[in-house]
Amino acid sequence: MDNREAYLDRYMRNTHLLGRIVSLAALVMLLGAPFLIGAVLGAMPDLGLVCRKYLSIGLVWIISSVVEFLVYTPMLGAGGSYLAFITGNLINMKIPCAINAKDMVGAKSGTRENEIISTLSIATSGLVTILVLAVGVALLTPLRPVMQSPRLAPAFANVVPALFGAMGYKYYRQNIRLAAAPLLIMSILFILAPGLTGSTGTMVIPSGGIAIGLAWLEYRKHQKEGRV
Amino acid sequence: MDGSVLAQLSSAPIYMICGGIVAFVAVVCVVFMVRAWRAGVAIGMDRTKMKRAVTASASFSVLPSLGILLGVIALSGSLGVPWPWLRLSVIGALHYETQVADAASEAAGLPELSGSAMTAEAFSTIALLMSACIVWGMILSVLFNKKYLHRLQGQGEKKPGEKKGGFGDIAMGAMFIGMVSAYLGSYLGDFASGEGLFTFRGSWTPLAVAAVSALAMAGFTWLSEKKNLRWVDNFSIAASMLLGMLAAVAVGR
Repeated sequence: MDNREAYLDRYMRNTHLLGRIVSLAALVMLLGAPFLIGAVLGAMPDLGLVCRKYLSIGLVWIISSVVEFLVYTPMLGAGGSYLAFITGNLINMKIPCAINAKDMVGAKSGTRENEIISTLSIATSGLVTILVLAVGVALLTPLRPVMQSPRLAPAFANVVPALFGAMGYKYYRQNIRLAAAPLLIMSILFILAPGLTGSTGTMVIPSGGIAIGLAWLEYRKHQKEGRV
Repeated sequence: MDGSVLAQLSSAPIYMICGGIVAFVAVVCVVFMVRAWRAGVAIGMDRTKMKRAVTASASFSVLPSLGILLGVIALSGSLGVPWPWLRLSVIGALHYETQVADAASEAAGLPELSGSAMTAEAFSTIALLMSACIVWGMILSVLFNKKYLHRLQGQGEKKPGEKKGGFGDIAMGAMFIGMVSAYLGSYLGDFASGEGLFTFRGSWTPLAVAAVSALAMAGFTWLSEKKNLRWVDNFSIAASMLLGMLAAVAVGR
């Protein structure tokens, strides 16, 4: 094993160690904060109520977290995924951001290069959000009327469609045949069962499954033809 | 509620508690960033590429962050400023916070999630429920990230600079196509059947926004590829999003 490989192995081991430590620390802080705030306010959380209502409120988010972990961890790599699960806002920011960065530099999934680029991307994105929110909170009084003006409301309500429109073009043009089937199937499903729009995050799984299945068939075909 | 609770929720001690956690996460981001940068340099990665990744990610994140700031403002009327600031800077997600805060306030016995109905005990209970419901991503990461990635990558790991992509890379691209398709399909479904099956009376704004944004992206791609203006790549997604969002303002819905 050469020096570079040894360095990378050490880097990865330390990334997992650091990721676990900071995740646990963040977990303790986030769960501890309501108690600390409760102490300041002189009113502790009602633990009985939290236990009784936890499943009814949290079940959908537990399932969603499992799905997000299984799907997005391989996309983001180790450092990127530890950071992304700490900083949040995965679908509407971190995932597209990391994918965009990966594409811009031409990194391949599963490589050390992608691990580095993904970590840089998620860390940058997290810092930008923290900065924007800190400035926004500091300037809340003058910003509130602007941010909440009815004129601008449609713009802020449509950040995700704007994001997926731009990213959609970028990805669809690379493989329009692959994109057509999931888009068609999802459109038909959502038209026939509009109630599913509340579970779009979960519908990513079958949609992604269809796309991956088709990609696999294409890959096998190219393998047989000796093109990959 | 005691009329001063909302003021208490935005008081200096609460800012210090929430601000301390936000600062911790900011430091974590910086540490991961510096480590990744050093590792990239050590394995001989092109610094220009890494710089591009940072610049593009920064420009990419500004607009969604403004959308998230709006979430902070929206929740500040009922939960004070520091708590929504913390939640949306760390771990939270825009779509999650409002829904869970609403459900938690109902569970805490409030008639609605509002500043006028809030009590100190209800707040601390709501805050704990909001935190406890969303921690699973972190818990799963702590427990399984290493094993999961090792299992997935163990056999097909490639060295930096290796050009030929295996199926893993194709699968990740396909997964993202699936993700975009699910969201675009949901906008179409909402428009066609959101107000009743095949009535076509639902909101068409998300579709128009996505279309304008995609068209703008096509324009930037053309500039980059045909006119050799490669620098536009760094800002093309952010600029396309901005144009899409401006279209929403023009449509005014």
